[in-house]
Amino acid sequence: MEIDRRAFIAGLGGAAAVAGMSDEAKADALEHYMEDQLDAGVAAQRGQTAPGQPETFQTVAEIEAQIETRPYRRGVGGVFVGNRGQNVKKIEPMPDKPSIQDFFRLRFAPANHVLQSATRAMKTGMSEEIILACLLHDCVLSLIKPDHGWWGAQLFEPYIPEKSAFAIRYHQTLRFFPDEEAGYEYPDQYYRIFGKDYTPPQYIQDTYKWLKNHKWYMEPRLVTVNDLYAFDPNAKVSIEPFEDVIGRHFKSPKEGLGFDNSPSAHMWRTLARPDSPL
Amino acid sequence: MVARLKARAPQLLTAGAIAIASAAVLLAQPPARTVNGLQVSVKSVEHTAKASLRDCPPGTNTVNAVQRPGDEIAVVTVDFKVMPDFKPVMMKRPTATAADDKVYNTSIQFVDVGSVPEYSCQFVYRVPQGTKLKTLQIEGASFDISGLESK
Repeated sequence: MEIDRRAFIAGLGGAAAVAGMSDEAKADALEHYMEDQLDAGVAAQRGQTAPGQPETFQTVAEIEAQIETRPYRRGVGGVFVGNRGQNVKKIEPMPDKPSIQDFFRLRFAPANHVLQSATRAMKTGMSEEIILACLLHDCVLSLIKPDHGWWGAQLFEPYIPEKSAFAIRYHQTLRFFPDEEAGYEYPDQYYRIFGKDYTPPQYIQDTYKWLKNHKWYMEPRLVTVNDLYAFDPNAKVSIEPFEDVIGRHFKSPKEGLGFDNSPSAHMWRTLARPDSPL
Repeated sequence: MVARLKARAPQLLTAGAIAIASAAVLLAQPPARTVNGLQVSVKSVEHTAKASLRDCPPGTNTVNAVQRPGDEIAVVTVDFKVMPDFKPVMMKRPTATAADDKVYNTSIQFVDVGSVPEYSCQFVYRVPQGTKLKTLQIEGASFDISGLESK
């Protein structure tokens, strides 16, 4: 594929902005650009759209037709597959008593999306429970992707406030249901990921009905509100601004995550040792 | 002299038309006002099928809102200038009121409004097709935007 270098750099905010980006951010931005170009090219070939026309999206059936074109399933956690079709690399061992910061550095990195999401929650004056939920809401994607709200809540539940766990568990449900009053749109990326004619499964719809009248509805809703705005390839984020929130609300076990005999300790150990065959 | 003017007539007419159109847009724009130490000027209203979801001031977020059946997306462009008396403040999301008095919310949030001296933001409103917006409300200040809607 030919890259229009000038358009690509301009799209990222110019040469100065590109110079300030990390290699990972550049790679992600390039990948995104190429995916967009590829999608546009494929769509144009199919006669779905012309340059300058609104993007068209695949159907659920078209997305399902791609399953047997991959050597892995889409739901596999990030630590178990190589980036962009490459082989996996050896990963740095975890410390003997790993902390949440160690997992951010060695297993969840670069974690740009969750850091951006939590940064926005912090800058817009949200509660510390919500800031923490935003910081952690997608970390479990390193372990597993389907039902990541439930898996994520289970992973963190022994260590964080009940409201934060609730927000993580149910953001997965609420992201499919726009709420203009709360400031949540249905994003185009879900058309891309799930298909334009996607209907959430019945259990998600039932959960939504239950959540709508729950006194904590806004907790997961605020995670989705920040979620949408956290896909900026140029954003500069780090975990440092959240050290105090983590210190106040994340009960770090003295034995280290994975060795405290909590109900989710095995999940942390799996993240720590993803090359273990059994 | 006359021949030269005749030769330039199409260019002069085009320039005149542009000047008239620009003047009409300027006349339709509500006057700039100061809100929370920010000079606020509403520039335009457009109706579209897709719009970027970028906070205010905008970054380079890659997620978009897309049209759903029966809806369209109204995009209100607003310029901001940070005035010398500005003090950091949390601001609520602006709302837009349609000609039928229905109020619409945007998902675009003010984040760090004093972080850059001047910027332009696009507030995205999902409205039923054919809806004309009447006013934009920012922190209690109301801007008449009916003149910015195409007839």
